[in-house]
Amino acid sequence: MTGTVEALINLMMADQVAIPLLDPILNILYGIPLLGHLLALILWKPLFAALICPGFATLGGLLMLLPWIERKLVARIQWRIGPHEILPQMGGVIQLLADSLRFLFQEVIVHRDAKQPYFLQFPVLSFIPALLPLLFIPAGTIIAIESPYGAQIVLAMVTLFPLFILGLGWASNSRFAYIGTVREAFVYFGYEIALIVSAFAMIVLYGTSDPLAISGMQQVPGIILNPVAALAFFIASAMATSRLPFEIPEADQELAGGPHVEYSGILFGLIYVISYEKVYILSGLMTLLFLGGGSGPEIRVLGDLSGLIWFILKTLLVMIALIALRAIYPRYRLDQALRIGWNPVFTLSTIAVGVSLMEVLLL
Amino acid sequence: MRKVVAPDYTVFEHVKRHVEAVKTAIREAIIPESVTCSYPKERRKMPASFRGYLIFDPDRCISCFGCAFICPANAIRMKEAEDGRYYPTIDYGKCIFCHFCLDSCPEGALKPTKIHDVAYRDLDRMLTLTEEMIEPPEIIREDKRYVEYVIDGRDLHLRRVDGEDELLVDLPPPSKVERIASCIDPESCTGCRICEEVCEHGVIRSSVEEDGVRMVIDSERCTGCGLCVKECSMRVLRLVRR
Amino acid sequence: MGGLLEWKVRAPDKPMKDRLYFDGLKANVIDTGLCSRCLTCACICPVDGIRVVDDKVDFPDREERCRDCGACIRVCPRFDYRPKYGMGDYLEFTAARSKRFSGQDGGMVTEIMISAIEMGMIDRGLFVGRDERWRPQVFHLHDSSQLEVGTLSGTKYTFATVLKELKKAVLLTRNGVGVVGTPCIVSGVRKLQMEFPLFRDRVRLVIGLFCTENFHYDELMSFLEKKGIKPEMLIKTDITKGRFIATMVDGEVKFKVKELEEILPSGCSVCTDFTAVESDVSVGSVGSEPGFSTVVVRGKSAEEVIAYIREKGYAEFGEGDPGQLDFLIDYKVGRFYVKTKDDKD
Repeated sequence: MTGTVEALINLMMADQVAIPLLDPILNILYGIPLLGHLLALILWKPLFAALICPGFATLGGLLMLLPWIERKLVARIQWRIGPHEILPQMGGVIQLLADSLRFLFQEVIVHRDAKQPYFLQFPVLSFIPALLPLLFIPAGTIIAIESPYGAQIVLAMVTLFPLFILGLGWASNSRFAYIGTVREAFVYFGYEIALIVSAFAMIVLYGTSDPLAISGMQQVPGIILNPVAALAFFIASAMATSRLPFEIPEADQELAGGPHVEYSGILFGLIYVISYEKVYILSGLMTLLFLGGGSGPEIRVLGDLSGLIWFILKTLLVMIALIALRAIYPRYRLDQALRIGWNPVFTLSTIAVGVSLMEVLLL
Repeated sequence: MRKVVAPDYTVFEHVKRHVEAVKTAIREAIIPESVTCSYPKERRKMPASFRGYLIFDPDRCISCFGCAFICPANAIRMKEAEDGRYYPTIDYGKCIFCHFCLDSCPEGALKPTKIHDVAYRDLDRMLTLTEEMIEPPEIIREDKRYVEYVIDGRDLHLRRVDGEDELLVDLPPPSKVERIASCIDPESCTGCRICEEVCEHGVIRSSVEEDGVRMVIDSERCTGCGLCVKECSMRVLRLVRR
Repeated sequence: MGGLLEWKVRAPDKPMKDRLYFDGLKANVIDTGLCSRCLTCACICPVDGIRVVDDKVDFPDREERCRDCGACIRVCPRFDYRPKYGMGDYLEFTAARSKRFSGQDGGMVTEIMISAIEMGMIDRGLFVGRDERWRPQVFHLHDSSQLEVGTLSGTKYTFATVLKELKKAVLLTRNGVGVVGTPCIVSGVRKLQMEFPLFRDRVRLVIGLFCTENFHYDELMSFLEKKGIKPEMLIKTDITKGRFIATMVDGEVKFKVKELEEILPSGCSVCTDFTAVESDVSVGSVGSEPGFSTVVVRGKSAEEVIAYIREKGYAEFGEGDPGQLDFLIDYKVGRFYVKTKDDKD
């Protein structure tokens, strides 16, 4: 029995997140019986990746922060002020905390026509495609599950999102939700192929789909190796998040929220963050494929955290770029979005595959 | 009808325009302009002719009911005061701030202010009685500066100026067509002299002579308020252009 | 459009020195029993103070409100009274029955008024209707759809305040006004028109009714109740061949007209005008076959209306006999002489 525990602890200690700066403190803390074990468990790389970064905690923190960043940034571009009244000294940074408190205490109304079990389950279930891909995205050297097919798995998980949104709309059983659901399906057809093909172009270029290997291979970031693929992937990501300028399924103007028109309270809060989760995951994937993942000038004292910080910074940059689109471009119609998805973006992604093949053959 | 056609750009021009848009967004994100006035800490400076709450001067009112008649929202009701005369009350729950009443007032008894933000505890209190209209409505002012919008070329800019904006304005009464009362049908006049009694300025005078009554309108002093025209039982008086 | 800034109003002579004009009117007309309660004075009164108090025309608070303008004296048809009598001048004497409206006899009063409105000669006509207790009420008639009420036509035999409404109608009208009334009301309108151009221009059509007498509402109703007639049950009243016939829901009550003389108003007993001599057109039942109205066309405007009715075929015309009227004309004149003789005694 003790042997098994010993073996487990050894396994964990062999694969710890190394932080040279904190080593003295950590060494003391390891000595304390229960706390030491707990700390060792948390700092065990796979668990750290799943729970802290890039997993659950980072996602939660970003969900709290992203809407504020978005509103503040767009307001600046549009000559407005943005959230201001809650904690004005900090520029209203806890706005979403206030919003989520409101969502929490609001009554969840399940209308008579709704398919009740599905209506209640789908918002919660939609966290599955948000959390699972994070297990395969490495932040520097920290990754939850190492897999030679990591990139494909992430893409497959991301393309699961629309399924849950279709489920939401279907369970709502209302006209607006129905129209929004159909539009979601349409847009899904518009971006999906371009997204996968442009990612495929990079996999062809690197010759591997192991996330760790991909980030390790990029001495020159992928965006320079194959800018066409980066552009196609970026536009397809913008469509995949179904946010402005491609806010076609939700369409506040016509459909008053599309698939989630019937939701209220905390369930609405859960749906509200779906698009931000998508933004985070697609930005992470983009960082991994095109910006070199966690690679960057290494800060020795931080050890493994160095790569992690670079990864988060790059992801934030991509997220801000995706978010700022709504302040730059006007909203597209459904047919325009489909044309963009099928015509220029699909063409770009196909060209990108050609570019990758040529580079592989020539170099 | 002209059909709107999408401009026929080449790929290069498309790219140029996309880059321009992104460039503008980045510039504004870094050095933003602002057009939001942070009311109530600052107030927009309204023009002197702004149509806000009204102040009422009972000394000038001649109880002609003109404001109540012209009010398109039926917000003005005339209430009998202790001195037996009728003065307007305004229901700000109905008022649409068109200031027709002010324009129609022949004596300038209603005055405009720039006040537009008065809070009420309930709907009943929005009915503002005559006594409450004599003084401007009470508001809490937190503003330390006021804001002006300046159009400069194509863009709108915001200029902040320290100091309080004076909300009470002293405008001369609106100019209007000068009219005077006159008799269009002297034979139908009954000689009841009600016009003489209602005239606030003593413009219509009568003198009893042996075989009848002589009526005289002093055209110099007639303000054209129309009170006599309204009161004449035979409608023989009419307002005509001076 | 200009106007006068200085004008003069002719004031009549005061009948009583140092008193109000209305005091003079009261002494000379109302208290002597000449007053017919046509209410022409109430129509013109600028302060609207003259009204009927205890079946007498009065101005109760005249000390405070009266403007002492003398208009009431100027328009009173019984002040400086010159009785009219006989048939008067007429252009045409005929009988007719309306095809569109049913009335007391031929429905011709309604027909003439509606036709005048259709012609555009007038845009409102003053009619006397009644409520379910037969209290008279004045209606402003604009088009024939208002007649569906059903209580507008038919004789009421009680005084109505038609002329009190006349000023309102005259001030509101665009084209002109038509009035229906008893001979005293017709005289009042004519005097108004003589004195005031406002009425001269705007009252276009005056329809007079044949009238022997008219009663005060309260007196008539208490008299009828003594006879066993309930006003709520009453459908129609009529006077034919010296008998008063009241048609009720459950039968008829008849009695001699002579019995009504005990409630005859004094203003009617001095009146000698049976056919409304001064009207534009007089209408009544005497002088034609049953079911027809006698129509005496006197004025130009009425002639136009009758021509219009003939052209459109709204009414069926018959023969009228002026001789049949002589009896009642003489009856009324005779009553006047009896009355004045009584006064001399």
